[in-house]
Amino acid sequence: MAKMTKEEVRQTKDWMKTEEYKELNFKRKSIVINPERACQPLGAVLCSAGFEGTMPFVHGSHGCVAYYRNNLSRHFREPIAAVSTSLTEDGAVFGGQANGFEGFKNCLNLYKPKMFAISTTCMTEVIGDDLGAIVNNARAKGFLPEDVPAPYANTPSFVGSHIDGYDNMLAAIIDTLGVKSESVSDAINIIPGFDTTTGNINEIKRLLTIMKVPYLVIADYSNTLDSPLNGEYKLYNEGATTLEDTKNCVNNKATIALQKFSTKKTIALLADKFKQEAKAVKSPVGIKFTDEFLMAVSEITGKEIPKEIEDERGRAVDSMTDAQQYIHGKKFAIFGDPDILTGLTSYLLEMGGIPKYVLCSNGNEEFKNDVEALLKEYGCDEGEVYIDKDLWHLHSLVMTGPVDMLIGPSHGKFVAREAGVPHIRLGYPIFDRVNIHRYPFYAYSGVINLTTWIVNKFIEIVDETSDDAHFELLR
Amino acid sequence: MQLKVKEELFDEPTCEHNIQKKEKKACKTAVPGSSTGGCALDGAYIVLSPIRDALHVVHGPINCLGNSYNQRTSESKGNETFYMYGMTSSINENDLIFGSEDKLKKGIVYAVNKFNPKGVFIYNTCVPALTGEDIGGVARELTEKLNIPVVPVQSQGFSGGKNLGNKIAGDALFEYVIGKKEPNIDILTDYNINLIGEYNIKGELFLIKKALSDNGINLLSNITGNATMEEIMYSHKAGLNVVVCSKALVYLARKMEEKYGIPFIEESFFGLSSTNNAMLHIAESFKDAKLIEKVKKNIESKTKIIRKEIEPYKKFLTGKRVLLYTGGVKSWSLISALNDLGMKVIATGVKKSTEEDKNRIKEFDANGNIIMLDNGNPVNLIKMIKDEQADILLAGGRNQYTAIKSLIPFLDVNQERSNSYTSYEGIVHLGRQIYLELNSPVYDVIRKAN
Repeated sequence: MAKMTKEEVRQTKDWMKTEEYKELNFKRKSIVINPERACQPLGAVLCSAGFEGTMPFVHGSHGCVAYYRNNLSRHFREPIAAVSTSLTEDGAVFGGQANGFEGFKNCLNLYKPKMFAISTTCMTEVIGDDLGAIVNNARAKGFLPEDVPAPYANTPSFVGSHIDGYDNMLAAIIDTLGVKSESVSDAINIIPGFDTTTGNINEIKRLLTIMKVPYLVIADYSNTLDSPLNGEYKLYNEGATTLEDTKNCVNNKATIALQKFSTKKTIALLADKFKQEAKAVKSPVGIKFTDEFLMAVSEITGKEIPKEIEDERGRAVDSMTDAQQYIHGKKFAIFGDPDILTGLTSYLLEMGGIPKYVLCSNGNEEFKNDVEALLKEYGCDEGEVYIDKDLWHLHSLVMTGPVDMLIGPSHGKFVAREAGVPHIRLGYPIFDRVNIHRYPFYAYSGVINLTTWIVNKFIEIVDETSDDAHFELLR
Repeated sequence: MQLKVKEELFDEPTCEHNIQKKEKKACKTAVPGSSTGGCALDGAYIVLSPIRDALHVVHGPINCLGNSYNQRTSESKGNETFYMYGMTSSINENDLIFGSEDKLKKGIVYAVNKFNPKGVFIYNTCVPALTGEDIGGVARELTEKLNIPVVPVQSQGFSGGKNLGNKIAGDALFEYVIGKKEPNIDILTDYNINLIGEYNIKGELFLIKKALSDNGINLLSNITGNATMEEIMYSHKAGLNVVVCSKALVYLARKMEEKYGIPFIEESFFGLSSTNNAMLHIAESFKDAKLIEKVKKNIESKTKIIRKEIEPYKKFLTGKRVLLYTGGVKSWSLISALNDLGMKVIATGVKKSTEEDKNRIKEFDANGNIIMLDNGNPVNLIKMIKDEQADILLAGGRNQYTAIKSLIPFLDVNQERSNSYTSYEGIVHLGRQIYLELNSPVYDVIRKAN
């Protein structure tokens, strides 16, 4: 076992940039290198943070919860509360019911939640704990008071990803709390989906307010995970969706989900069980998808789209035309969650950018078809869509077929560095930049933000790399 | 089912629960329904993943690793930096039903062929531990096949917390790595030491190494920041083990003493007096008058220089009140650093501290009034800070935003810290950072508004 010389290391690295290696890499089935996804319970914890006084209660091994708290905390730069039932070997043998009971008791004493949102980790899924039975027995034995709702969802990490966990938890909460009544209100429900950009939720609220549309955002963590600093730490921040509103949300006129893939189950539940008009629109990124969203709202509520918003659209289009020459023909590698990627692809195509690689770890065939249809629509034959691939695949892709920019979560920074291209942070998680999640990339404001980030980055690079002769005031 | 980790790992003479109760129970397991810390996998991965020329493969569902890789700031200088890659067998539903040992083997063989590492660590997680996969067998088979050490790490999360994971990792090193190779004779000097439990967060190891070599002490192996497999393999040739993270890896030091006769001392490199003491104790361990003389001289001159450098900060910080809430060794070692800066520690967290750690706290506690805080849930912490009128909280990332929301100045001293605080240069960084934090005008802006 001789030490590798610098030369050998360089050769290995060079080889990893070759077509031959890329082929081998794409045959890789047994090992994931540099994953770009999170697991179900993390989505469940995020979803729970959008409800009033709710404690995310994760049934299973305790280490998982520490990870979720860390990750969400680093992304939002906010305190995150979540508890675990902390199963040990004993739990593996005898089941986790005793831990569940003790967990309810301790958590009520310590944190006094108004609701438990129960999800599971792999461990309890493997040993086959029955959440329904645990909740019922806890109620019967007095560990869980009748007036504290405890919706539960099965969220194993070995199936799906964080977007499914979000969906399962949300469906469970609505299913448990929702009470159908005769009267139907005029309000519409908005479901953000697994979207960790609080600016997006606020932007949508702003537009609906301008349209004078009465609305309810379900699982609204735009305040709880972006809370004002006033010198007092609260375990449960104000501004989340109240339990009362959640109970009545099934009697609102309709539901619009802003993401398709992270709300499938929830939308089906509202449509089938509660007979509500419920549908998912394409995430409103870029002009076209934003238009579609606003028209959907207009159609459901019968409200006109006011001039104010039309002017906003005009300004966004203006910003695009001012800056399109910097993006037109540039190649992008984008990665992250399916709904965000669909929207981002649409925006880039509108600007004349080429989404050369669209890589999604947790996307399915339907997602692939969506993006491919978009590429076709704009006559972009260079775009390639990859599902179920990781960041090491992305590395191979950008090393063999170069791009001008990466757009996606923080984990991609190592690929960007290796490839020597800029990396715009977008999506989840973002650990290494501040405030990105406070700026919307949805709707017309989002178009301006995206354009600003991408184009200015390109211009900065020109400035940083040009010699004196080409260093000019005008760009 | 391979549920249990080694019985021996629960036997820790320095832990109070071993002393008080006769039953061997893992270090405090988490309480259901309260907020939690990391698990055994987290602890094991932290200890081993800085080994930079080995591959670290987590055998489990995608997210045991997906949530955690690349999230510590262990730095490394060298050609091979495989710790940058997160690798996992990513168990899915089918694997669960049909077993995934084959998948794991194939995955490791693929990665070894591509990356050409010097060793592989396989980390076990809850799921394969429950379904009874034999990673020990996989490791044995692959060790022969690939001709490099393939080390099984039994770090399933339900076994216990971070500390237990640290121990499991130490045990894996002891069983499979240490003593498997002899060092080249020309790298040995008269005074060879190992550091145990130094992970080179933000390059802290480089500062310690510099201080050591100034004194003519040779750092033979560092376990594990910036380490190579080879260096850990021949670490049994050192004359002294210096444990810098007492709780986590004292187990390993004890095992090395039993087997190789290497004495060990527990030291801290946080703060001026601690660093001085550590240097002196190391020199004294070698019982070499010349070395002791040299170290004493160095200490004298270093102390003068550093005292002068921290003077401006110390002037401002004297008498300021600190609440320290961090793990194990830092619960006492940082007290000394803060005392060097003239600050007053009013309470320190002992959730992850041993009896030994607690005794050390008492050593540094001149007036005997440092509160030992056992339960640092956010609500408790904030209450204590308000009650005791602390000026600043020194803790880890999970409490950062809790503090900031309450308008309490905060400095991160855990693994996500953005500065190196060890050794001589480190104390200057620490003074400067606390000074900056306490002087930040931003808190006043809000206080006035309220």
